[in-house]
Order: sequence, then structure tokens, then C-alpha cells
Amino acid sequence: MNDAAGNGRTLLEVEDVVKRFGGIRAVNGATMSVGEGRITALIGPNGAGKTTLFNVLTGFYKGDRGSVSFHGEEILGEHPYAIARKGMVRTFQITKALAAMPVIDNMMLAARDQPGEHIRNLFIHPRAVRQRENQVRKQAMELLGIFNLSDLAEDYAGTLSGGQRKLLELARALMAEPTLLLLDEPMAGINPTLGRRLLDHMQGLRREMGVSILFIEHDMEVVMNHSDRVVVMAEGRVIAEGEPHEVRRDKRVIDAYLGEVAGEPAAAGSSGE
Amino acid sequence: MLVAVTFDAITNASFWISVGVIAGTYAIVALGLQLNTGFTGIVNFGQAAFMAIGAYTMAILVLKAGFSFWLSLPCAVLAAMIFGVIVGLPALRLRADYFAIATIAMAEVVRLFAQNARGLTGGNQGLFCDVNDPSNCYTNAWRDVSDHINNFVSNFWGDPDALFPLLIVIWVTVAVATFLLRRLQGTPWGRVLRAIREDEDAAQALGKNTLLYKLQSLAISACLGAIGGFFLALNLATVHPLDFEPLVTFFAFSVLILGGLGSYRGVAVGSVLFWFVLEGTRFIDLPDPPFTETRIAAIRLAITGLLLIGLMAFRPQGLFGKREEMVLGE
Amino acid sequence: MEAGPLAEPAPPAIGARLKESLERPWVVGVLVIVAIFLALVITNGLHAVAQTGINGLSLGSIYALGAVGLTLVYGILKLVNFAHGDFLTFGAYMAYLVNVTWGMPLVVGVFWAMVATAILGLLLERVLWRPMRNKHAGLLQLILMSIGLAFLLRAIIQWFWSTDIRVLDVNSTSTVDFLGLRIGQTQLIVVIVGVVVLVGIGLMLRLTLLGKRMRALSDDLELAETAGIDTGRVITYTWIFAGALAGLAGVLAAATTNLKPEMGFELLLPIFAAVILGGIGDAFGALAAGMVIGVMTEWSTLVIDARWKTAVGFLVLIIVLILRPQGIFGKAKAI
Repeated sequence: MNDAAGNGRTLLEVEDVVKRFGGIRAVNGATMSVGEGRITALIGPNGAGKTTLFNVLTGFYKGDRGSVSFHGEEILGEHPYAIARKGMVRTFQITKALAAMPVIDNMMLAARDQPGEHIRNLFIHPRAVRQRENQVRKQAMELLGIFNLSDLAEDYAGTLSGGQRKLLELARALMAEPTLLLLDEPMAGINPTLGRRLLDHMQGLRREMGVSILFIEHDMEVVMNHSDRVVVMAEGRVIAEGEPHEVRRDKRVIDAYLGEVAGEPAAAGSSGE
Repeated sequence: MLVAVTFDAITNASFWISVGVIAGTYAIVALGLQLNTGFTGIVNFGQAAFMAIGAYTMAILVLKAGFSFWLSLPCAVLAAMIFGVIVGLPALRLRADYFAIATIAMAEVVRLFAQNARGLTGGNQGLFCDVNDPSNCYTNAWRDVSDHINNFVSNFWGDPDALFPLLIVIWVTVAVATFLLRRLQGTPWGRVLRAIREDEDAAQALGKNTLLYKLQSLAISACLGAIGGFFLALNLATVHPLDFEPLVTFFAFSVLILGGLGSYRGVAVGSVLFWFVLEGTRFIDLPDPPFTETRIAAIRLAITGLLLIGLMAFRPQGLFGKREEMVLGE
Repeated sequence: MEAGPLAEPAPPAIGARLKESLERPWVVGVLVIVAIFLALVITNGLHAVAQTGINGLSLGSIYALGAVGLTLVYGILKLVNFAHGDFLTFGAYMAYLVNVTWGMPLVVGVFWAMVATAILGLLLERVLWRPMRNKHAGLLQLILMSIGLAFLLRAIIQWFWSTDIRVLDVNSTSTVDFLGLRIGQTQLIVVIVGVVVLVGIGLMLRLTLLGKRMRALSDDLELAETAGIDTGRVITYTWIFAGALAGLAGVLAAATTNLKPEMGFELLLPIFAAVILGGIGDAFGALAAGMVIGVMTEWSTLVIDARWKTAVGFLVLIIVLILRPQGIFGKAKAI
């Protein structure tokens, strides 16, 4: 089933990306790729530069060097909003539910092509705005239904539990119609039952919507069982890339990552926040 | 020490009308701050500058460039909005605290300019009528309208107060602006603003060009500031640098906080309460000494200070703000 | 002034080393100041530049003394204290009370001003800032509170001393001739006191344990806490430090000009400019930046009309915020 949705094409190509803070190279020449229709896991010990790389890929940090091509188009140095519009949508390690907005507004915000987001159209095309708004609302309610959040639609997002926020953030990202989802530790801080549901959702998304996924994760169990491909980072570089069973046996990976974390995955996961 | 309340002040309609004019002016100015701070999360400490630019541009265009008063108004609004965009382009990329300091510095630069570019602004003399032609004042066109309104009003009310028409126009403006802003807030556009207030990164990650929205928010606020500046200029019949001190912005913030962040309706109520309390100190006929003019001014300043401290400590959401929508918690 | 994006670790050739040092913004800053100095000497002559430079040093001392406390409070407590300017006013009026009302020497007044302002800072920490921190108050909440406090302090001063302009009992007429420069006696004292105290602060921050802890906290509160520093005590000392220096700065400002209730608020913005130019939380940066802004302000009078000089501080502030928000002396940090 690993290759069910994949057709072998490369969606995201990262080459020799460098990000410095002062004298420190948080990402020091990372090279990797994400295949279309694949679920790719990004793993590595704390401080390996995973989240920093995410921030560079999505435009939140300006990369100092290298190249990032998405759908064959160079995107390094583009603004975060522009990258999101091209179809690469991310979530954050610490959930960014818009707490003082109702859940439904969180969802509707993320929709694409809402003419009503321009003041001009509110006056010239009020009808188009309303139509799109109804459409978006329907779509949002459907997605909330899938994620079992329908009953909470009118509640403020701030009143949701940690796990529900993770689900909301994932559902919201989907409203933006991504072709590639970047999930920063989607499983961190939620209970195992909800975690399993989230994993099911990820598989379902790939299967039914053809969304490719790149996610950062600490739990090796999850990585081995739920990803098609694994990218391992250490000290700002990608040290291994391949199928889960290959990576698992890679000497460098065992040295750099498994040796350190395998004994205490929970501790590594929580201190990552 | 005998403290007497003079009841003639309470029944003095003209006093209340003047307070209403001030309250309405500040309500318009604070509506802009509500859009910025309450709904976009940008702490604009430079509102006085937009008022100044509105008032000065209007007066200069009428007195020195021979514009008609009515044409000068849209021009002055445009000037303030353009200035907002020019300031906002670099400054809106800054963190909230830096932005606050940058805008207050910007406002002081504008005020210094008004004070020192004497040829244009009249410096510390201020602007009121054309020096060469004392009959040409920027208030003339408004005087005519005002007289018309009062002629009409005198059918019902024997001798209407001279400020009465201004009061009406100001509060109609407050009502219209409140209505429009509330409507805008309910649109997808307003939703993006609220998302930026909550978390700018999240909004960007969902494909929103946040800088553009923040610029629009600041420009609309500048427009409201400029309109507030017109009314201030018409009320005082002079445009003077001292009327645009940072204190003005902070008074408007007090109005905003009292009404409650995140509530447009709260702004008008907050402004009325604030100014009626502050000006209400004039009812109390305090003996001099020890209550000299400056000491009464000190009391008014102290009331404002205590109000801000007390609200922030015990009721940061103000009178009408929603606790859930409290945006002060960073 | 951002570092070049593609700068590779080059071999240590002289050219490369020069390029590297040019990437350090404070080096560029020093070069700019030297260039301005030379340009002014050529156009206005050394004498005029030195004369205005002295004025600049006295103004700069005031800014620097105000800025060092403000920046530490900003860095350590994440409090943008708009009432800091009114601490200066408070100190100035405390000195006035001792020096003019009670007729005692100004030295006593300076001491009392520093003690009283330190106590004021400490008192406000106990009744306002600490409870607000415990409530996890947000940035804007604290800013607006400090503005309220600024109003209250100004109101109290206005109540007791009215808005009349007052002066301290200092000799404002006699001058000292030095290397052909004519320097006001008071001004000379202000410059000497300012520079001596600033050097003292620098040494204290660099050498003493308390100073190091203050800087550590200001750099990273959480890290300092995990390193086992008693943050409560350092915060207490920071307020004493910030208050005393603000009091001193207020007296120096009053001695060189005059006293009025809004004096502190007028000084606040250039002091903020120094804080931001120096990099928030960076005490050394604030000291240097305060001096730079003071000198630049006075030098500007050689080129433009003196009534514009107040704008210099604001313009420096705006330009720095646009070009390099982390300050000239501050280091680049991740968002």
C-alpha cells in the first residue's frame, strides 16, 4: 500500500539549504526530497534543525543559501503566504488555534479564493462574496464532521482541548486545499487514542485527496509504521533518506539518533516543545 | 473647606454640548484605534499625527492654496491615509512594542514639523484665518452650513447653541462609522484581520498577505483620525501643534480601553463616560486655594492615570469587551 | 546593514577580514560617526564641533543614564515602561525639594533624588508590576498601565509644584576656559559626573556578580532561572539601579536646563531611541547609544536650526527601527 498513491514524481526538492543564526548554522546544507502522494517522516535528535528547516521551507525564515523547488518552481525566499497559496501548507509544533475566534471562523478563514477578503469586492460583488461564503461554510462543516468537531463549530477555539486543537489545525490546513502538508509534530501532547485517529486521517488524506505529507515526529513506532519514506537529520544536515526499514538499519542513523533517543522517546518528545 | 456643586453647570446646555462635541471627536478617533488595536492587533500610538495631518492639510489647502473647504476634506483624508501607508510599510514589519514606539516617535516628528515649519503651518501661532485676508477663515464654509442647521432648528428650539450643529454632525459621523466598521468586521475581510490579531504567523501560513491587511487597517484608522482632526479644528476654530500631543492619543486609548477592546459600540459609550467624568470635575466648585487651575488639571490627569491603571489591573476587557476576545494577553 | 546572505567562511586574507568587520554594525556605526565628525570639522571648524560636542556629552550622559535602567527593566521584565521618563521628573523635583525648598547643597539633593527614585521604583514593583506578572498580564496591558502611571506621577508633581518652570540652585553663569573652549561650570560638572558614573556602571555590570546576573537575566530570563539565579533578588536590585540612575539623570537634566512636570516625558523618546539603538536589554549598548544620540543631537545644530534638534533622536529611532530593529549593538536573533 506504500506506493498506492505515489507515482514516483518529486513534489518538493530541497538542495543544500543553509540557515544561520549569528555564528550558528541551525540548518547546514540540508538536501532531501518529498515524493508526490507520499507520507514522508522527518526525524532526528533535538536540535537537529527539523523545525528550522520547516520554517525555511515555508518562508518563515529566510534561508541563507540553497534551493527549494516545489512543483518544479523555486520558492526559497518567497513570503510565507505566497508559499501557502502555491499549495504547501503547514501546521505548527505549538498549535496556533486562533483562540478568540469560533472554530467555524478558524476553518472558513483558511479557504482559498474568497473575493470578500478584498474590501473592494465587498462593495462591488457582495453577491459573489455571499455565495463563496456559503460554499466555504458547507465545506468547513463537512471537514469538521470528518474530524468529529461539528458540535464545537460555534465554540471559541480557545475552549478546545489540546487534542481537539491539533485536529482543528489539521482540518483548517486542509481548508486551504494543500498539495503538500507540513505537520510539525502532529502527535505531540495528545493522548494515544486521538493520536491513532490523527494517523488514520493522515492515511485517509493521502488516499482520498491525494495530499502528500511531510511530518516531524519523535515516536519511532509511528514513523516506522505510518510513513512511506523517512528523512533523518542530525546537526543541521540530512544524514540518511530512504524507506523505513532501510533507515532503521543505517549505521549513521543508529549512531546519531536511535542510540540517543530510542531509550527515552517520550522524554525527547516532550522536551521538543 | 466647603465644596459646593454648582447646579447651574448641570443645567447649562451649552456646557454639555461642548462636552458632547469633544466626546464625539474622540469617539471617531478611538474607532480607528479599535480597528487597529482591538481587531488587527497593531498598537498604533501615532493617532494624533493622523489628526494633525488631517487638520493641517485641510487648513493649509483652504488658506494657502485657495481650495474650497469641501474639496479640502477628501484631499486631507487622502493625505493622512497615504502618510499612514508610508509609515506603515516599514513600521508594520516590526514587533508590537517596537511599532508602538515607532508610531509615537513618528507622531512627535509630525508635531515638531507643525511647530517649526512656520511658513507653512504658522508654527506656534497656529492656523485660523488668512493673514492677508482676515475674513478668509477655514471655518467659513462650515459656519454657513451651521447657520442653516440652526435656522432650521430654531423652529423647535428658541435659541439653539452655536455648537449644536457640530454636535449633530459629529455624532452622525460616529454612528455611520460605527455601523460601517461593524459591517466590515463581519465580512471575510474582517475575519482575516481578527486572525492577524490572534496570530499573524497562523494567518500567513494559511495564505494571507498580512502586511497588506495591516496597511489597510492603519490607513482606515488614519482616515478616521483625519476626520477627528477636522472636527477638532472646527470646534477650536484654530489648528495648533499643542492640540496634537501624544497625550491626545493616550486619551483616545483611555476611551478605547474604557469602552472595551474588541467592541465598536463600546467606543462611543466609553468616550461619553470618559469625557463626562473628566469634564464633570468642572461642576465641583472647588475653592481656590488650594484648588488652583493647574491643580484641577492635575486631578484630571490623575483620574485618567488611575482609570488606566485600574482598568488594566482589574478589568482589562473594559466595559463592553468580551473576555474571550481579550487581546491583551499577547 | 544586514550581513550579506552569501558570505562564506573566507580564508583570513586582509580584505576578507576587513569585509567581516564591516559586517559588524557597530564598526559601521563608529565609522559613520567618525565620518560625520570629520565632515563637520571641515565645514564648521574643530572649535565649533568641540563646543557642541561638550553640550552633546552632557545631553548624552542624561540619555545614557536614563536608558541603562529602562533597557534592563525592558529586557528583564519585558516591561516597556512609559513611566520611566516620569522617574526622571520625580528625581529632579526631589532634588529641587532638598536643594531649593530646604536650601541644602545640591550634592545632598542628588543623593536624596537617587534614593527616593529607587524607593519609588521598588514600591511600584511591589504594588504594580509583580502582581501584574503573577496575573500573566500581556504586553499591551503593561504598556497602558505604565502610561497610566506616567500620568499619575506627572499629576502628583503638578499638584505640588504646579506647571511653573523652576530651576535648581546652581551657578549657571560662570564658565571655565579650557583649550579655548568656553564651558559652563554646571555643564562641566554634569559631563564629569555623567561620564564617571557611566564608567562606574560599565565596570559594575562587567565585573560584579550582580552586574553579570542582571545582564544574564536581561539576555534570557528562562535560561538564567534554570541556571539557578535568584531572579527575585536581581529584579529588586534592577529596580533600585534603574530608579537611582533615573533620579540622577533627572537632576542632571534639571541642572543643565530647568524643571517642569513634562520634562521627563520629553526626555523619554530620545531615551527609548537609545534603548532601541543599543539593542533592547543591552546595558552597554544603551550607554553607548545614549551618548551617540546626545552628541548627534547637539552636532545637528551646526547644520540645521536648533529648534529642529529634538527631531534628531526621533529620526535616529525611526531609521534604526527600519534598518536594524535589533539595534546597532544588539545581536541578530531568531524571531
